[in-house]
Amino acid sequence: MMILLIGGAGCGKSAYAEKLCMESPLPRYYLAAMQPYGPEGEARIARHRRLREGKGFTTIERYTDYASLMLPARGTALLECVANLTANEMFAQDGSVADPVENVLSGVDALDRQCDRLIVVTNDVGSDGIEYDAATSAYVEALGRINAALAARAETVLELVAGIPLVLKGELPV
Amino acid sequence: MVLIIGAYGAGKTEYVRSLGYPDAALGEAVDDGKPVLLHLEALVRQRPDGADALADTLCKKEIVVCREVGNGVIPLKKEDRTYRDAVGRLCVRLAKEAASVVRVVAGIPVAIKGELPCALR
Repeated sequence: MMILLIGGAGCGKSAYAEKLCMESPLPRYYLAAMQPYGPEGEARIARHRRLREGKGFTTIERYTDYASLMLPARGTALLECVANLTANEMFAQDGSVADPVENVLSGVDALDRQCDRLIVVTNDVGSDGIEYDAATSAYVEALGRINAALAARAETVLELVAGIPLVLKGELPV
Repeated sequence: MVLIIGAYGAGKTEYVRSLGYPDAALGEAVDDGKPVLLHLEALVRQRPDGADALADTLCKKEIVVCREVGNGVIPLKKEDRTYRDAVGRLCVRLAKEAASVVRVVAGIPVAIKGELPCALR
């Protein structure tokens, strides 16, 4: 059963996602898709770690290919976040570019089958109205399509605004 | 305190006026003694590190208005990323304290916490 959380920068997605995890079946897995680029990325990751401290999460850092990840046991998994995962699946270290949609979706599907509750965090990146270069535009479009496909699969879709969950599909989880 | 958020040009200030606040009540500084603070995002832009320190004083305003800046592609410049995060986190904190949170979408006020505020008499 999947819950999709969507929202912008600093909107309280992570804090809300972690709160949901605390009310969900054990064990708890935190699936970190963000690669620690530079001091700013490391600081962001450190902040997320502090938020999760003492909450019983097993952290699995994995930047691509969730389709082949085997979770040790059923429980709750928090995947953070699809915007990072999509970029990782799309832009390889060697400079090559791939269509990320299939890999991201099959990865999330595989996780969903292995969890009692899967919480997926993503961003809305398509509404700033700025014309980007071709690669960035392709990324924005791919993430939009991935979000739509995930929302179709999810039982519940919530938009986080100023820390407030707004129900876009389903009901507020208990 | 009522927190009013929304996109650029969504009609936030017009909405505040529609509640009965005259222009003299609308300010842009934390300590100007006016009941309404507009453009919170501009204050955060000036001092992103000091955003948290503003929260307690802002909670004493009747209305705080802030543009939503967190959606869209992650900016290339670090200062832009810091700014978006700081505005977002300050709004999370203010929303927790606020009696109501109103999101203005295409000029339409949507209460996302509590009730829409009553107009001034």
